[in-house]
Amino acid sequence: MATLLEIKGLTTKVSGYTILNNLDFSMEENELRVLLGPNGAGKTTLISMITGQYKPHSGTIHFAGRDITGWAPDEIFKVGISRKFQVPNMYETLSVFDNVMVSLQGPRKVFAYLWTRVKPAEAERIWEILELIGLEGKANDPADTLSHGERQWLELGMLVASNPKLLLLDEPTTGMTDEGKHRTAELIRRIAQSHTVLLVEHDMHVVRQIAEKVTVLHQGQRLAEGPLAEVVQDETVRAVYLGKGKFS
Amino acid sequence: MITFQDQIFMQFLTGFSVVAILMIAATGLAIIFGVCGVINMAHGEFIMIGAYCSYLLREYIVGPNFAYTLFLAIPLAFAIVGLIGLLVERTIIRWIYDRPLETLLATWGVGIILQVVAKLVFGSELKEAKVPHILDGGVRVIRFLQFPYYRMFLIVVAIVLLALTFYIIFKTDFGLKVRAVRRNRRIASCLGIDTAKIDMTIFVFGSGLAGVAGAVLAPIKTVSPSMGFNYAVDSYMVLVLGGVGNLWGVAAGGGIIGEAETVLSFLTNNVIGRLLVFLFIVIIIRVVPRGIFGYQERR
Amino acid sequence: MEKVGEKQRIQPAGGKQRRIRRTPLIPWWALIGGAAVVAAIGAYGETSANNYLLSLLGKFLCYAIFALSIDLIWGFTGILSLGQAVYFGIGAYFVALSLKINYALTHPTRYGGKIPDFMEWNGLKVLPRFMEPLMSLPFAIACALIVPTLLALLFGVITFKRHIYGVYCAVITLAESLILQDAIIEYQAYTGGFNGITDYGNITGPVFMWFILAVTVVFFVLARLLTHSRVGTVLKSIRDNDVRAEFMGYNVANYRIFVFCLSAFMAAAAGAMYAAWVGLISFLDAGPGFSIEAVIWTAVGGRGTIIGPFVGTFLVRGASFFLSGVLADWWQLIMGGLFIFVVLFMRDGIVGTIGNWWRRQRGATYGGLVEEADRQAHDLQAEWQRDSGGAPTREI
Repeated sequence: MATLLEIKGLTTKVSGYTILNNLDFSMEENELRVLLGPNGAGKTTLISMITGQYKPHSGTIHFAGRDITGWAPDEIFKVGISRKFQVPNMYETLSVFDNVMVSLQGPRKVFAYLWTRVKPAEAERIWEILELIGLEGKANDPADTLSHGERQWLELGMLVASNPKLLLLDEPTTGMTDEGKHRTAELIRRIAQSHTVLLVEHDMHVVRQIAEKVTVLHQGQRLAEGPLAEVVQDETVRAVYLGKGKFS
Repeated sequence: MITFQDQIFMQFLTGFSVVAILMIAATGLAIIFGVCGVINMAHGEFIMIGAYCSYLLREYIVGPNFAYTLFLAIPLAFAIVGLIGLLVERTIIRWIYDRPLETLLATWGVGIILQVVAKLVFGSELKEAKVPHILDGGVRVIRFLQFPYYRMFLIVVAIVLLALTFYIIFKTDFGLKVRAVRRNRRIASCLGIDTAKIDMTIFVFGSGLAGVAGAVLAPIKTVSPSMGFNYAVDSYMVLVLGGVGNLWGVAAGGGIIGEAETVLSFLTNNVIGRLLVFLFIVIIIRVVPRGIFGYQERR
Repeated sequence: MEKVGEKQRIQPAGGKQRRIRRTPLIPWWALIGGAAVVAAIGAYGETSANNYLLSLLGKFLCYAIFALSIDLIWGFTGILSLGQAVYFGIGAYFVALSLKINYALTHPTRYGGKIPDFMEWNGLKVLPRFMEPLMSLPFAIACALIVPTLLALLFGVITFKRHIYGVYCAVITLAESLILQDAIIEYQAYTGGFNGITDYGNITGPVFMWFILAVTVVFFVLARLLTHSRVGTVLKSIRDNDVRAEFMGYNVANYRIFVFCLSAFMAAAAGAMYAAWVGLISFLDAGPGFSIEAVIWTAVGGRGTIIGPFVGTFLVRGASFFLSGVLADWWQLIMGGLFIFVVLFMRDGIVGTIGNWWRRQRGATYGGLVEEADRQAHDLQAEWQRDSGGAPTREI
């Protein structure tokens, strides 16, 4: 499997605090990787760095062979990286259908869409995605009438619509019921069949449901990496996680 | 004779008092915007009301011969404008904190109402409030040019106000809560801090400061219902340039804008002076989008 | 709640489940209503002897176009500019100056001078060299349209490319408008200053009225085409969540610049026609007071709709016309109150509220749970907004 994402020596400072400390991290194509770590370990920051929200202090990020360190978010998107935020981020007054429509993979330039709305093939794809996330019955409803869980799924659907090579999911099950989390985990597993996914997650039930390879971050550095079963047995990982989360 | 350099120097000195005025006017706005995230478009009118307090006090209450009018006017203006701020906050602002652009519009409406009321009550003629006797006159700086005592007084007031605000925000328990709310509102409320009450208190305090600004400005500027607007716009520019959420921003912004505008206006004219300062601000913003001392997001 | 794999709810393609509710490009009622309004005003222009009302109607139409331009950037894209009158004013002044200069050539003042009267009052003897090109009206019109658009482009590139928006943008545009207003007053030799430019043989009559009507219709249709297309949806998505749009690959700055320049062009055109029709312009037409008032017309009528600005302008200006004479200062009081009222209680405006009601009547799928969902959504959103101090959600 080819290496898709390669991060070397990444260091980030925010307001004087070093959040990522000389971090090495890589992912292969079509992998589903789970990123674990206590609060403040730098998981969300890592995702922010990859998507170009901040410039790193030092280090490089390579994606599909290209150096994307320091690129702007919309350029990074075009290279094929999509991000899901911790808090559901969608377009509140637009309908569910429109939310997905606007996220569809396609030209993003101002003059590209002046005379068109949706082509039939695109509409097909949108409906496919709506069915995947289970919101096809609410296609016409404004996004802000959705429940919290449904918003998370909507944002997942929007990301799938943009057809990225790499999907960065930041705690997508936040605020969901157990059933919702179970469903979301299934959804992510299905998405991961055709995309590369990096998942940040706290809930060990969800992690156990779908994780293959796992990376543990601690204080901005890589603490452990490997199959879930192995990592869970690691002494230092247990010590770091003592008192946080449940796993047995 | 007075040379050109002399005149420039005088302008430079006067600029300090302009800086002081800007700082006094902008501090109230800065803390409101920094903590609550809203811009009060009626800020100019709050200043105006403070000025009218000064005038009223002199005209009707203590009479023109009372030497210490100003020192009474300051707390009076603080109280009255603070009360008005409280009213505005409770009835209007508190419902729309999540929509900062719309607070702009709503407070603009408040400003219009205050202006009209002032016009109806006081008439639109210019009124005067005199400089207190003990501050009359000035210091001889260069030959015939005098630097008025009152302007020096203004500089003192500005420093005192800034120091007072600094003290409250950084050295008191209340200020600690305020800073917590500003940094991370959600966590602060989880920790039991009543964020709504903090917002209200800050808004009232900021409004009161605007009133003080007006009271202190009244003696050197003529008092009229529409006097406040220009100060308001200048205050906004101070925030944009200096940055929000940091009292140094008020000092820096006020300092640069005050001096630049005074000297440039002297060299060219008022309009070009303002235009040049505006262009300067726009250029600086390109480099530091959130102001010189503002929290920059790194891109 | 839907269950995973509940296949029976999903119809094959083309089934009833898959219909998207969309308003057509021009709904039948808009076509009929619009045609009626145009016909009514046009006919009135042809037949009436009461020129004052006609003059008012033309004025209101120009204002409506201006309000529409504000709706495009504010209602649809979420940019609040408190200085759009800058573009209106520049457009107006170019045309007015040109007309005045030409008028002065054929109507000498009592001193025999052939230059505009305000220039004479300020001591100018001849037309300044840099103003001579304005003798050509077509050139002036071209300037009136192009200069504001270029200015908007400059402004857009400077501010939007650096992600300066929201309150900062509003305040900067306010300052810009104020400076222009001050400049107009200061340089009265060239602009007529406080008194403005008047008495220059403005163009009235039914022909020009039809022209204004035509331009109005064209702009409204154009705006509808734009907002109905995918670009319109993208603009709305930028308004709702520009961080998300950016991370979804849209160059938010470019979209903002595009719509801002378009809006400036419309405002300039409105100003140009206004100057030609009304026969009097002044610094007030370029200042922040006018800009903000137009925002309120849009808000009253309904932001984010196309008809809203039109309705709001006519309603508020119409009321202003009838009531301000009677009420004088009290009318200003009412206007101030209107600002507050609209923001607190009438967020969707008249057209928006009617639209919401209509949608519910037609059986929106979420039926009676709308209020509850609305409340929940509003609370959540308010919380997120306040977390980030009013900016769209961002994290570290």
